[in-house]
Amino acid sequence: MNFNELLQNREFVFLDGGMGTMLQARGLKPGASPEAMSIEAPDVLVGVHLEYLKAGADIIYTNTFGANRYKLTECGYSVDEAISAAVKNVRKAIELSGKDALAALDIGPIGQLLEPTGSLTFDEAYDIFKEQIEAGVRAGVDLVVFETMSDLYELKAAVLAAKENSELPIICTMTFEENMRTFTGCSVPSMALTLEGLGVQAVGVNCSLGPDELYSVMEELSRWTTLPLIFKPNAGLPDPVTNKYNVSPEEFAESMVKTVPLGVKIFGGCCGTTPDYIRATVNKLSHKQYTKQSPKIPAAVCSSSDTVVIDQPRIIGERINPTGKKLFKAALLKGDIDYILGQAIEQIHAGADILDVNVGLPGVDEKQMMVTAVKAIQGVTDVPLQLDSTIPEVMEAALRYYNGKPIVNSVNGEEKSLSTVLPLVKKYGAAVVGLTLDENGIPKTADERFAIAERILNRALEYGIRREDVFIDCLTLTASAEQEGVMETVRALHRVKTELGLKTVLGVSNISFGLPNRELVNCNFLAMALSNGLDLPIINPNVASMTGAVRAYKLLTAIDKNSVEFISAYGGDNSAPKPAQSAVKASDMTLAYAIENGLKAEGARITEELLATVDSMEIVNEQLIPALDRAGEQFEKGKIFLPQLILSASVAQAAFEVIRRKMIESNSSPVCKGKVVLATVKGDIHDIGKNIVKVLLENYGFEVIDLGKDVEYEAVLNAAVEHKVKLVGLSALMTTTLKSMEETIALLRANNVDCKIVVGGAVLTPDYAEKIGADFYAKDAKETVDIAKKVYGE
Amino acid sequence: MIKIERIDRSEAFRYLGYKGNSVPDDKINELADICEKELLSVIQPKLVYRVFHILENNGDSVRLTDCGFSLDGKDISEHLAGCEKAVLMACTLSAGTDRVIRKAEVTDMTKAFIMDAMASAATEQVCNAAEEEIFANVTGYFRTWRFSPGYGDFPIDVQRDFLEILNAPKQIGLCANESSLLTPRKSVTAVIGLSETEIPRKKRGCGSCRMKDTCAFRRRGDRCEF
Repeated sequence: MNFNELLQNREFVFLDGGMGTMLQARGLKPGASPEAMSIEAPDVLVGVHLEYLKAGADIIYTNTFGANRYKLTECGYSVDEAISAAVKNVRKAIELSGKDALAALDIGPIGQLLEPTGSLTFDEAYDIFKEQIEAGVRAGVDLVVFETMSDLYELKAAVLAAKENSELPIICTMTFEENMRTFTGCSVPSMALTLEGLGVQAVGVNCSLGPDELYSVMEELSRWTTLPLIFKPNAGLPDPVTNKYNVSPEEFAESMVKTVPLGVKIFGGCCGTTPDYIRATVNKLSHKQYTKQSPKIPAAVCSSSDTVVIDQPRIIGERINPTGKKLFKAALLKGDIDYILGQAIEQIHAGADILDVNVGLPGVDEKQMMVTAVKAIQGVTDVPLQLDSTIPEVMEAALRYYNGKPIVNSVNGEEKSLSTVLPLVKKYGAAVVGLTLDENGIPKTADERFAIAERILNRALEYGIRREDVFIDCLTLTASAEQEGVMETVRALHRVKTELGLKTVLGVSNISFGLPNRELVNCNFLAMALSNGLDLPIINPNVASMTGAVRAYKLLTAIDKNSVEFISAYGGDNSAPKPAQSAVKASDMTLAYAIENGLKAEGARITEELLATVDSMEIVNEQLIPALDRAGEQFEKGKIFLPQLILSASVAQAAFEVIRRKMIESNSSPVCKGKVVLATVKGDIHDIGKNIVKVLLENYGFEVIDLGKDVEYEAVLNAAVEHKVKLVGLSALMTTTLKSMEETIALLRANNVDCKIVVGGAVLTPDYAEKIGADFYAKDAKETVDIAKKVYGE
Repeated sequence: MIKIERIDRSEAFRYLGYKGNSVPDDKINELADICEKELLSVIQPKLVYRVFHILENNGDSVRLTDCGFSLDGKDISEHLAGCEKAVLMACTLSAGTDRVIRKAEVTDMTKAFIMDAMASAATEQVCNAAEEEIFANVTGYFRTWRFSPGYGDFPIDVQRDFLEILNAPKQIGLCANESSLLTPRKSVTAVIGLSETEIPRKKRGCGSCRMKDTCAFRRRGDRCEF
């Protein structure tokens, strides 16, 4: 019998129970590797498996929870050895039992956190899981189980590794806290949407708490998936001193039965449970019937923490896109990810529910940039993303590294597009935007566009993509060029919404191209489209009237019940931006005063005004730099402290930004006194210090190539060579990562890179800096600036 | 369940370099208000600990019962001298804290800097609260202060075994990376010695530290928590 037959033929399917306590009772030393026992004491393992089989288990987990190359290093066995021995033990137990039971390759978390909180990359995680899967396939398991997962991103790497390296059925359980979230903040709907999208066979919950405490998690899960549910809780809660669990086998079984109406199909036990718990559960369920649930899963997309249900208009922010934006283009060419992150956060504050991400630009490696941008954005925001590229390889990479369920932008009615994009959408479990155009271009009439929409839908359904995951874009044409076309778009949208029942998406701003007062046109068109069934307007949410039009629509159509959302956006709150209290009247304020007093908005405003009459270099050299120097001096004398220095620096940064923008817009090159590469060395994840250095260097007109934290030695070398810098700055906070600093310097020297190296960080000293071959030691950010000036011969 | 209601601001400002009588101005205090609010909304203190019997303490290393590794170094041995038991504890503010600091780094570096220091202060508070919780359950002992891997000559690369024996990755989501740094960042592991009889007050501070001649912190006029 295989896994699917088991699901079909049995009323309920039973897993085994706890392994750790069973092994400890049979001689496993605390702190020793449980996996080594599969090899060193196979009879013990066969004995435990057999007890669970006799208690009623249909699926036995192999003793391989931590059998990955990272965790096994200490015990000296290879992944292959640990897994093949463990599978053999399960097979032997099954044979002895005479039962028709299955062996599940058990895989737990790697034991290191993935980036951005930890240092492990998605690809490294994938490789670690791949090695386990391949060993499991060789050893002949019947299915793969990923359990006790708390990071959806790690689990995604695991599921892809299993799907791409085996044909085995996959089941997954994650571990939730009482607040209905995992340690990394993953929510139940996000888990369900993402995993069902990735095509696993069953999902559920294990470990952390007892069956009663986890009931509400299971209840929530049952609303968000059509897959069979797995429930494998602990035997209650452990006593902090004795470590004994507080729920008896009988009580456990009682509580398990309560989840039958939720549609739980697969039952088992985790920490603290023994064969008695499984036996009691099997007995209690013997007269019960599986109650399959068929919840209607709404159209929805998600990040790992937040889910956006498209049951009302949701704003897709369009600003992460270089088209027609000089500053954005400059940032992309420079690899300035912080600029993109700033755009992301600004749009979310303005009211975006979803962000479109497009980084395509000639001269930029789009695939590389897309992956970097997706990783960076999901590291600091919670909104779902719409991945936007015309190149399939870029799209696949974006889908792979996205954590959650994204929207693919886009597919169209052309056969070539349908047959390349839709398989990707299916594989990665995304939603997709279908553009109503094909090889003949954009049809003139609403009916023709409707026909393409229908074609796209049918092909998507053939690929196994859910109807709810197909969003149709009926395409906005510019009113100035094709005035008659406007209503065709609106009519097509209306038909798609009402006749096909699909969600609709529309880029709005294009309507007013070439017209005066574009905002007015955009706003009215948006209102028309919303009234005709637009679900996903793609707009610039920073334009208050556009976001306002969506909010007003929701108010007027009673979607925004009791106007809560509207009032919270616009009502009553006068406490918001209160003007900076200052002894100086705004009109008399100087740039120096703003810098000294940390008045960011004022600093930017004054700079803007100054630029009308004063040359930008004059502002930099005669106002900005002297003010910064004064702040630096005060800091050195202990009159002000680091937070104030940084505050002053960030005012100067805002002023610089104004100048830089002006220069890029007028096509002159921005101030650059020289380029500096900065990196927090490999293994080190503390990069606040480096970031402060960056701000100050930029203040003084240096261009910083910021490589971030935990940076590979080669990445520093490559950046130093590529940008031909004269100065590389390295930061390390911990004694353990000083070694990485030394290695990075050695690599730069071995390759004869013609640059000076400055190092800094809490545990560094001038002596040590010299010992590891650095040219300079900087005790703080201020000193780094002095060194940079010296190197660039000021 | 550990909860913290306020963040110890004076401690945070000490980390930020304010010494003696110097106090932050209104602007910085205003930022600190915002940082505190944001931090308190994401901090989720979590604790895991276990009590071990001390099997042997030979002055260079300490062996515990039911523990697959030893606590090495003269400093930890001295710290546990005269103790019959040791508590190994690990606590964390959880991953959400790293995330808000990361976000602040993109939007406002001053805020990020203050937030980072406040999160460190909160970590210290969580450690204190953790100790209270532990010793509400484990009663009848005199105890030492908290001694962490990396203090004195207690090697930091014990982190991984330390976390594993407490089952910390699974219980509280706390791991170490390849460089033995704790992730999430705002976390602490520590050893507390227990004795049924009064323990002579353990020396603390640079004067009694074995690393005092080679310590990088010290040469910069700074100090660790030893």
